[in-house]
Amino acid sequence: MSNFDDLVDREGLAADEEARLRRVHDLLVQAGPPPDLPPGLERPPTAPAEAELVQFPLMPRRRWTLAAVAAIALVVLAFGGGYLVGHAKTTATTFATKRVVPMHGSNALAVLRVAPKDSAGNWPMQLEINNLPTQHDPRAYYELWLTRDGKPIAPCGTFRVNARTTTIRLSVPYDFKGFDGWVVTKQGAGKHEPGPVVLTT
Amino acid sequence: MRLVTSDGELIQRAATGDHSAFEDLYRRYARPVFGLALRRLGDRGRAEDAVQETFASIWRSAASYRPEKGPGAPWLYAVARNAIVDRARARTEIPSDLPDEAAAGPGPSDRAEQGWVAWRVHRALEELPEREREVLALAYWSGLSQSEVAEFLSIPLGTVKTRTRAALAKLSEILGDDLQ
Repeated sequence: MSNFDDLVDREGLAADEEARLRRVHDLLVQAGPPPDLPPGLERPPTAPAEAELVQFPLMPRRRWTLAAVAAIALVVLAFGGGYLVGHAKTTATTFATKRVVPMHGSNALAVLRVAPKDSAGNWPMQLEINNLPTQHDPRAYYELWLTRDGKPIAPCGTFRVNARTTTIRLSVPYDFKGFDGWVVTKQGAGKHEPGPVVLTT
Repeated sequence: MRLVTSDGELIQRAATGDHSAFEDLYRRYARPVFGLALRRLGDRGRAEDAVQETFASIWRSAASYRPEKGPGAPWLYAVARNAIVDRARARTEIPSDLPDEAAAGPGPSDRAEQGWVAWRVHRALEELPEREREVLALAYWSGLSQSEVAEFLSIPLGTVKTRTRAALAKLSEILGDDLQ
């Protein structure tokens, strides 16, 4: 039934108000019913929660020059690894954001916040991820990379996901000028080359 | 007076990485996007994918929204339409034989107009209190009479009519200029 006169009690209704309600009524009839959302779409993305943060050695996965590999490995192990370990159990607090980088995947979303460079020359970063699948293999993990020409080049940190939303903190010593974006790859156990990209900028 | 954060404000906040703003946009627009995708693609699975793609696009491109160029709803509509059209193009096969006669039914402009109306109305419905939205859904699209709606909800017939009128009045306020 969609007859306005049957649906609405018009008692005490001014003419102009009735005209507006009739217009709304016509639009409702024209629009038709809104669809039921499938279960997969019912839940909106939720606010990021604290993450499980797993310590992995942050070795470069690509064959740069020997010098670059050695330098980055040393710096990352000394600063980045220490940073990760030190922040593994911290709660998400205010993060002095200098740059916000949205990332997306087929069903996942993320935002990467980059803070100003610290006194040691590192760039603290906070990655908030939503809807990445949890890993079934206890040795599997995800890895954040800086990219050049869209290809993962410089590793920025590794992590696991154990909830629908995950927030992790990382720190890298790289100068971002030589790079054009970030990706997150899915890393299988024992796989050191960049795996399939699951999030990109 | 409505004290609801505008779509434009939410888009701008989402552009700064504000998850709660993005969630609010999702709550407001998941159903309208799904409805638009269903209408265009005719398949629930593909429509579901299109919704995912649309919100990924919103998240990705929120910073490109310019409030001085207009409110948020048309911008969101454009993002959704582009995502849906892309998905439709990706799967559409070019027919080997073109039909001799124009197809019956609404043309592209009519379909676009219908899509926009449904988009705005379904978006506005999301702002109604659940009990008013429920009454409208039953009254308009269930095929029940007002008396049957009253019986179904176990409320007096007068309450059904009061809620219906109140819901239409709120929709009128939400839809604003769209009623012109």
